[in-house]
Amino acid sequence: MMNKTHSTSRFSAVGAFFQGLGSSAARGCRKFFSNGKTIAGFAILAFFVLVAVFGPLIFPYDPDTDMASAYLMPSWEHPFGTDWLGRDVFRQVIAGTGSVLEIAFYSAVFTVVLGTVLGIVSGYLGGWVDKVIMAVTNIFLSIPSFPIYLLLAAIVTINTPVSLSVIISIWSWAGLCRAVRVQIMSLKERDFIQICSVMHMSKAHIIFKELLPNVFSYIAINFVMAMRNAIMASVGIMLVGLAAYDPTNWGAIINAARTKGLMNVKNIYILLYPLLCIVVFQISTLLLANGLDETLNPRLKVM
Amino acid sequence: MQAAPAAVNATGKGKRLLAAVVKFFRKNSYFFAKVGISLLTLALSIIALFFLLRMIPGDIVELYALKLQNQQGITFERAYELAAQLLNYDPNENIFQAFWRYIGGLFRGELGTSYLETGVSANSLIATRLPWTLFISSVSLFLSFFIGVAVGGYVAQKRRGAANKAASAFIAVSGSVPDYLIALILVIVFAYQLKWFPAQNNYDAFSVTPGFNLPFLGSVLYHAFLPILSYTIVQTGNWILHMRGSCIGVLGEDYILAARARGLSERTIRTKYMKKNALLPLVTQFGVSFGALFGGATLMESIFNYPGIGLEISNRIISKDYMVVQGLIFFSAAMVILVNLVVDLIYPLVDPRVRKG
Amino acid sequence: MQTHTDHIALFSHVSIDYPLKKYTLRAVTDVTFALKRGAVTALVGESGSGKTTIASSLIRCISEPGRVAEGDITFYGSGGEETRLDLLSDKEMRAFRWRKVSMVFQAAQSALNPVLTVREQFSETLEAHGEKLAKEEREARFSDLLDYVKLDAERVLSSYPHELSGGMKQRVMIAFALLLDPELIILDEPTTALDVITQNYIFTLLKKINREKGISMLLMTHDISVVAKFADYVGVMYGGRLMEYGDVRTVFHRREHPYTAGLIGATPSIVGDISQMKPIEGSPPDLLDLPKGCVFAPRCPKCRPVCLTEEPPMREFEDGSMGKCYFYREGDHADTAG
Repeated sequence: MMNKTHSTSRFSAVGAFFQGLGSSAARGCRKFFSNGKTIAGFAILAFFVLVAVFGPLIFPYDPDTDMASAYLMPSWEHPFGTDWLGRDVFRQVIAGTGSVLEIAFYSAVFTVVLGTVLGIVSGYLGGWVDKVIMAVTNIFLSIPSFPIYLLLAAIVTINTPVSLSVIISIWSWAGLCRAVRVQIMSLKERDFIQICSVMHMSKAHIIFKELLPNVFSYIAINFVMAMRNAIMASVGIMLVGLAAYDPTNWGAIINAARTKGLMNVKNIYILLYPLLCIVVFQISTLLLANGLDETLNPRLKVM
Repeated sequence: MQAAPAAVNATGKGKRLLAAVVKFFRKNSYFFAKVGISLLTLALSIIALFFLLRMIPGDIVELYALKLQNQQGITFERAYELAAQLLNYDPNENIFQAFWRYIGGLFRGELGTSYLETGVSANSLIATRLPWTLFISSVSLFLSFFIGVAVGGYVAQKRRGAANKAASAFIAVSGSVPDYLIALILVIVFAYQLKWFPAQNNYDAFSVTPGFNLPFLGSVLYHAFLPILSYTIVQTGNWILHMRGSCIGVLGEDYILAARARGLSERTIRTKYMKKNALLPLVTQFGVSFGALFGGATLMESIFNYPGIGLEISNRIISKDYMVVQGLIFFSAAMVILVNLVVDLIYPLVDPRVRKG
Repeated sequence: MQTHTDHIALFSHVSIDYPLKKYTLRAVTDVTFALKRGAVTALVGESGSGKTTIASSLIRCISEPGRVAEGDITFYGSGGEETRLDLLSDKEMRAFRWRKVSMVFQAAQSALNPVLTVREQFSETLEAHGEKLAKEEREARFSDLLDYVKLDAERVLSSYPHELSGGMKQRVMIAFALLLDPELIILDEPTTALDVITQNYIFTLLKKINREKGISMLLMTHDISVVAKFADYVGVMYGGRLMEYGDVRTVFHRREHPYTAGLIGATPSIVGDISQMKPIEGSPPDLLDLPKGCVFAPRCPKCRPVCLTEEPPMREFEDGSMGKCYFYREGDHADTAG
């Protein structure tokens, strides 16, 4: 009981977002890294970023084929073995890291921006704007997303991480939009927002300075979750063979190995590593999201 | 002179009738609002799907003509004419006329006809594929729901126990591996390596005859085992997570403490207080999941090569059979909307709080 | 010490802990006092002072993960039986709850199960206590109780909680508390969520129950004016300690304890001038970081050096009053110390 009152006072500190950006950033960092899950998730993600940036410099990937050394088992020279064309799988996985991260990042940015902006506008303005946005949202939530990804992949030629991200985010913002709208609608009833409108503050001020900081924690968590979903969707699209622009992307490696036949154990060896990378990446985002949730929504702490 | 009272009478009747109609709509406003929104969403989805598919580059008639040209060894011009005729395609027709023609077809119950295979349409595919999709996905939905609810309710009460830690670990791992990759792993291990289960198809067409006979049913279950297993693994974690969260929320409510203060047994509190309240938000989620089943799981079905709706959609997108694709996606969207509507309409029967609108 | 026959319950050196992840929080520290039979005893204090925690310990319903760490709690039944509440098994405690001690919760709106009707909740409580009554008998008992709190029994019994107004729910809760004819009712801020008129009505009703049925009451509140009107005895809590205990007239009239005096001074009065209202400076103590001496010392206008180093003992006086302060009744002779 005591702890609850304690936590709520700490939570209202989010409102102190404005005072002293420097000190609040430092406090934010300390708070951010006070949670074990956050640290673990962040560390793994940071590791993947480092691999994406420096990996290709240390272990450059050579796409040339060398049939003589096809299907080699893992060795010192080829830690993950080689594929059916004699290319090093370890270097392929490293070369693909960047593209995977780019897709995750861009998709999350597009999804979150689209979902948050529309959600806030819809929830705050209400009226016919709300009705129109909700009608559109309903369409996006009713039509199953994966077939649409495939259709969009047929309409737009996917040749960069950005184009793939656009396709993924076009059909994934609706859930977030609806959730943000609900949050905004309940915030709107709270006293401090009511006071703002009584004081005739501009809508822009209320939206960006009052409402946005209050849903910030929610958005941060959803950013991480959007990264998760983007990985799931992008690898899925590649598994169907509709986004073959980057043969070193983890999804593309898995698909290539799969289509070469799973009766052959050697192909399983090849797809094992990118698969493992995807799982580790997904676990890191889950840890990060849960950690952020625990830090930013302290009500859970009493448990 | 004589007509006047009759007219008054008539307008009086009309007014009364109008008032009755208005009253009827008012009384059932919840019902009509939900139905209205669903119909609107359905209409907008049809429009969105139609125009999305028209954005796909490439001329359908041309594709078909090329096919006919190869098949029948005729000139392209002749093939094009023939194709236009067979597809009931008018080159002068603009997109809006095409749209009205499509809507007309929908009202006659024609979801879309294949131009690659004669006699195949979205309707015929739904009739043959949907039972398979529904079979594996609904069995696993029910399985995972019941397991998830039981486990979630149990671990919510023992938050410090080992069971909760194990459940958390399971949720983290099963939620981190994309569903189709779990399917892929199961196929690799149990179908290709251990060879305990088949890697594709819904039954063994060579050794059994479809019908109500034991070998057929056995073969169906044998082929469905891996798909059902992977679906269940994927979804159970989610249900545990939701049920646990919902239960923890309910356990923090005053009425749990009050029930304990009244001397009620822990068993009563668990069943009548915790579970009954915690299940309410899950009803909606269960409905949403059930509605989503009708579209099939595209990737899962392609990994198991299981002939359901999802596999059909992905195969036909790749082979550019867009009229059928449009019909199948429309069908799955319509089912999502319909099931959500049904859930909305029956929810008041489950939760007394929304019974009175 | 007095004989126990005029007591209904006795808390003896009770401390209650909340073991949390990284530390243990002591919400109640060494509290000793008795509840007089047939009387209304009030516990006042700010939120977090430990009043709800100590009262809930009577029926072992301290919110998780709170536990009684030290001391013992005894209940004296009307038949002369003594029950050590801290020694009961879970099963015995379940039978004891509601039959001997019932409770009216702070938030009546959330103390009823939203998916069961009032009738179902009344019936299942009877069943849990092994009372197998015929249907007519049961219905008669329910309607008697609801009539007593001036509710339309037929309508209320078949209602779901959300179909009742706040005041109605609180009356349902009071009727509910009377269901098994308990000897003591715990009232946890029974009127906080209600408007003033309804508040008054509820207290009139409770007073009537106290007089007519002779049921003892333990009231927790932060509203000192309610205490003055309604209670016979009062205990003042601060920082998990009982600071002062005595009968209401003496405590309010003499204002011996600086914290009690502060509480009374901080209460607005309809007749008085608002400028005479003085808030207590400072903020309630952090239970994880309590001051070394007297817990109230940092906010106390009478604070002396000794208050900052050593916690004052609880002293009891001839008239039954107790006080935890070095300056409490400085002239009087203390009866017992500790």
